[in-house]
Amino acid sequence: MIKSLMFWVLAIFLAPFFSALILKVKAFFGGKKGPPLLINYYTLVKLFKKGSVYSTSTTFVFKLGPMVSLSSAVTVLLFLPLAGQAPVFSFNGDLLFILYLLGLGRFFTIAAAMDTASPFEGMGAAREAYFPIICEATLFMILILFYVLTGELRLAAYFTGSQPFGLWQMAGSPMLFVVIALFIILLAENSRVPVDDPATHLELTMIHEVMVLDHSGPDFGFIELGSFCKLFFYASIIAQLIMPFESGYLALNLCLFTAGLVVVYLAVGIMESVMARYRMDRVPKFLLTSFALAFFATVITLEFIK
Amino acid sequence: MVEIVFLAPFVTGVIAFFVPRSLGRPLLVLTGALHLLLSILLWIRQPEPLFKAYFAVTPEGMLSLLVISLLFFLISIYTVAYLQESDIKAENIFTGSMLLFLSTMTMVTLSDHIMVMWIAIEATTLASAPLIYTHRTGASLEATWKYVLICSVGIALALLGSVLITISMDVGQVDAPVSFSALTSVATQLDPLWLKAGFAFILVGYGTKMGLAPMHTWLPDAHSEAPSPASALLSGVLLNCAYLGIFKTNKIMQAAGLGDFSGMILMGFGLVSILAAGTFILKQTEYKRLLAYSSIENMGIIAFGTGVGGLGAYGAMLCLIHHSLIKSSLFLTSGNILLGYGSRLIDKTGNLVNLMPKTFVAFFSGFAAISGLPPFGIFIGELFVVMGAFKAGHYAGATVLVVSLCVIFAGFANQAMKISFNSSEAAISLKERASLVLPQYVLLATSLILCFWIPDTLYRTIMNAVTSVTGGF
Amino acid sequence: MNIPVDTILSLVLLSILFSFGSSRLPGLIKVLAFQGVIVSIVPLVIGHDLTTGGILFTLATLTIRGIVIPLCIYLAIKRVAIRREVEPIVGYHASLLAGLGLIVAAVVVSHRFEAPSSSASVLLLPTAIALLVAGMFLLMARRNAIAMVLGYIMMENGIYLVGTTFSVRALHIVEFGILLDVLAGVMIMAIILQNIKQTFDDVDTALLRTLKE
Repeated sequence: MIKSLMFWVLAIFLAPFFSALILKVKAFFGGKKGPPLLINYYTLVKLFKKGSVYSTSTTFVFKLGPMVSLSSAVTVLLFLPLAGQAPVFSFNGDLLFILYLLGLGRFFTIAAAMDTASPFEGMGAAREAYFPIICEATLFMILILFYVLTGELRLAAYFTGSQPFGLWQMAGSPMLFVVIALFIILLAENSRVPVDDPATHLELTMIHEVMVLDHSGPDFGFIELGSFCKLFFYASIIAQLIMPFESGYLALNLCLFTAGLVVVYLAVGIMESVMARYRMDRVPKFLLTSFALAFFATVITLEFIK
Repeated sequence: MVEIVFLAPFVTGVIAFFVPRSLGRPLLVLTGALHLLLSILLWIRQPEPLFKAYFAVTPEGMLSLLVISLLFFLISIYTVAYLQESDIKAENIFTGSMLLFLSTMTMVTLSDHIMVMWIAIEATTLASAPLIYTHRTGASLEATWKYVLICSVGIALALLGSVLITISMDVGQVDAPVSFSALTSVATQLDPLWLKAGFAFILVGYGTKMGLAPMHTWLPDAHSEAPSPASALLSGVLLNCAYLGIFKTNKIMQAAGLGDFSGMILMGFGLVSILAAGTFILKQTEYKRLLAYSSIENMGIIAFGTGVGGLGAYGAMLCLIHHSLIKSSLFLTSGNILLGYGSRLIDKTGNLVNLMPKTFVAFFSGFAAISGLPPFGIFIGELFVVMGAFKAGHYAGATVLVVSLCVIFAGFANQAMKISFNSSEAAISLKERASLVLPQYVLLATSLILCFWIPDTLYRTIMNAVTSVTGGF
Repeated sequence: MNIPVDTILSLVLLSILFSFGSSRLPGLIKVLAFQGVIVSIVPLVIGHDLTTGGILFTLATLTIRGIVIPLCIYLAIKRVAIRREVEPIVGYHASLLAGLGLIVAAVVVSHRFEAPSSSASVLLLPTAIALLVAGMFLLMARRNAIAMVLGYIMMENGIYLVGTTFSVRALHIVEFGILLDVLAGVMIMAIILQNIKQTFDDVDTALLRTLKE
C-alpha cells in the first residue's frame, strides 16, 4: 500500500518531466536547442507564485474548473497500476468510474469556459464536448475487448503482473490496433498535434488551449499540472501495452516501464514535429479511425477466440 | 489440330495491324472465308485437339463456332462495303481488332478448361474494346470506358466463381482435371455449397458479359456507339460466347443434382432482363439502342429457357442460334440506315420503304423475325420455351414472359413502323450496293431455312448439347 | 492460431479501412501498393509445398502488384495533373462505418462456408470476401476514374487471395490469369484514361454521364 502510494506521488511528480520530453523532441526536429528538461517545473513554480485575476463577470464555477480538472486527473492516477504494481485503489468496475471521472474533469473545464461568456471559449468548449464523444466510443470498444479477453472490469486486472503479456497472447496482432487506437485517443484527449496544437495562440483553431485563456496564476498552474497527469495516465497505459514484460524484479520492471513511457512521449513529439494540425472538419475522421481500429480489433479477436 | 481455328485469325489479326487498308480489307474477308472453311472441316472431321487438357470439341461449342464462322464471313463482306462508305481513321486497328476478336471468341467455343475459358472470355473484352472506340468521340469513349470497367468487374467475379469451383473439388476431395467435361462426370462428388457459390459468381460474371439485367448497363451504350459491323459481332456472337460459359457451368450443376438451384437463378435473371428490356424498349429514341435492348430481351429468354430445362432448353438453343443470325443482320441493316440518314435518332429517320427499299426489306423482315413472328426461328424457340415453362409448372414465370413479350412486340412494332413509314425529308446519299444488303438477306434466309429444314447432323448436335443438360425430354 | 498469417491478414483488413478513409489519390495509391505487397506474400507465408517456380512466381506477382502497377498509376496522375481528390459519392465517415460493417458481415458470412482443409487461418476467407466487397464499394462510391481503377485492383487482390491460398489445384494458372487480368485491365484503363483526359480535360466520371436510356 505504501509502495503504491509512493508510486502515485512519484507519478504526479514526474508527469511534468515527461511532458518536457515532447518539447525537446520538437526542438530537435526544429534544429533548436530547446528548453531545459525541467522547464515545466519552472513554469509551475512561476505560476504558483503569482496571484490570480478573475473577471467580474465570472462566478464560482470559473474558479471550480481548474481545481476539479486537476483533482480528477490526480484521482484517476490512484487507480492506475504502474510498472506492474497494484494501484492504490481498485474495485470491480473501476474502469467506468475512471472514464467518468475524466468526463467530470472535462465537464468542469467546459463549464468554466462557458462561464466566461467569451464566444471564443464557447467555441472551444463546443469542440471539446464534441470530439470526446467519439473517443469515448473507442474507449468503450477497447473495454469490451479487454473484458472479453480477461473477464475483468478492473483496470488493475489488465496491467498488473504478467497480464499485459497475456493480452497479447490472447489477442495477438489485433492488440497492435488497440495500441494505435489508444495512441490516437491520447492525442485527442490531451489536445496534441493532429487534433489540436498546444503551442498555437490563434483562438479560432484551438480546442483546449482556447478554453483556458482566462485562467491565470495558480489556477492555470492547476490546469497545467492536471493536463500533465492526464497525459501521463494515457501514456502509461500505452507504455504497459507496448512493454508487456514481467521480469520479476521491481527495478527492471521500472526500467522497462520508463522505457515504454519514453517511447510514447517521443512518439508524441515526433508526431507533432512531422505532422500539421488537421483542419477542424477532418478531426472527426481521425478519431473515427481510432474507433474503426478498436472495433476492428474486437471483431477479429472475437473471431480468434471462438 | 483443333487449335489452328483460333490461331489462324490471331496471326492474320496481328498482321492486319501493320498493313495498309488496301491489304487489310481483303485480309478480313479471306480470313473469314478461311475460318468458315476450317470450322466446317472441324465439324465434319471432329479431330482431336493438341492440348487435350485445355481444349475440346463439344456439341454446344461446335454449334456456336459454326454460327460465329458464318456470321463473321458475312459480316466481313459487309464490313468492306461499310468501310468504303464511312470514314474511319485508324482502319488497321479496326480490322486487326475484328480479327483478334474472332480469334478470342473461337477460343471460347473450343476451350474446355475452366481457366482457359475464363482467359478467352477476358480476352474478348480486351480485343473488342478498340472496336467500340473506333469513332473516337466523347460518347464512344464513355461507352468503351463503361464496357471495359463493367465487364472487367464482371469477369473478375467469374474468375472468383471458377476458383470457387476448384475449391469445391478440394473440399470434396475429387481428383480430376479442372475441365468442364471432367467436372461434369464427377459432379456428384463436388462439395455442393462451394459449387453453388461458384455457379452464382460465374452466372453474375458471365451474365454481365451476356447482358443479363441488372448488369446490362454497358450493353446499349457499347452496341450503339460501336460501328455497325462491330455491333453485329458483339450482339450476335459475343453474347453467345458468354452464354456458353454459363451453359457449361449449368451442365455441371445439373450433373451434380443442383439443377433446381441453378434453374431458379437463371429463370430469375432471365425474367428481370426481359422486364428491364421491355421497359426501355417502349421509350427508346435511338434505333441502335432499341436493337441492343432487344438483345437483352432475347438473352433473358435464353437464360429463362435454360433455367426451365427440357423443352425450354431446346427452345433456348434455337433462340440462341436464330437470335445471332437475325440480330446481326438487323445491326448490319442499322448500319445502312445510319449511313443513309446520318443520325441514330428514330425521329430523324422515316419513309425507309421508299427511300431505301432494299434495306427496308432486310429491316422489316428482321424486325418481324426478332419479334417472334412466324415463320422465323425465334417464334419456334419462344414457343418451346413457353411450352417448357408450362410443362414444368412455372406458371407465374411463363405468364410474365408471355405478357412482356407482347409488350415488347408492341413497343418494337411502334418504332419499326415509325422508321419504315413515317414521312421524312431526309436526302439519302447512300447507294444500296449488293454487298451492303446481301449479307443481311443471307442471314435472314439462313434463319428461315433452319426453321423448316434442320440438317440432320445439326439437329443431332443441338440435341446432344441439350440432352447433356437435361437428360432429354 | 497462425501468428504471421493472421498479422498479415489483419493488416490487409486494416488497409481496407484506410483506403475507405483516404481522400487523396496518392494516399489511396500507397494504401493499394501496400495491400498488393502484403497480399502477394500471403501464399509464401502459408507455404503449402513451395517450389522454386512458385516462389519466383510469387515474387513476380509481388513486383507487379506492389510496385509496377501503383508506380504506373502514380506517374500517370502526376503527368496528366489529374485532380487529387477522390470525389466520394458516399462520404468518408459513412465509408469508414460501412467498412466496419462490411468486415463484420464478411466474418459472419464466412462462417457459413466450410473452409477447405488446406486453409491456414480463420481470417483468410473473411479477408478475401471483405476485399472483394470493398473493391466494389470503391467502384460505386467514388467518382474519380482512377479511384475506380484502384477499387478494381482491390477486388482482384481479394480474388488472388482466394485463388492462391484455398485451392491447391491449378495454382499457377490462376495466378497467371489474375496477373493477366490486372495487367490487361490496368493497361487498357490507362489508355482510356489518357484519352478521357484529352477529350474531357478531366477524369471525373461524372462527365461520362451523357449516355442515358
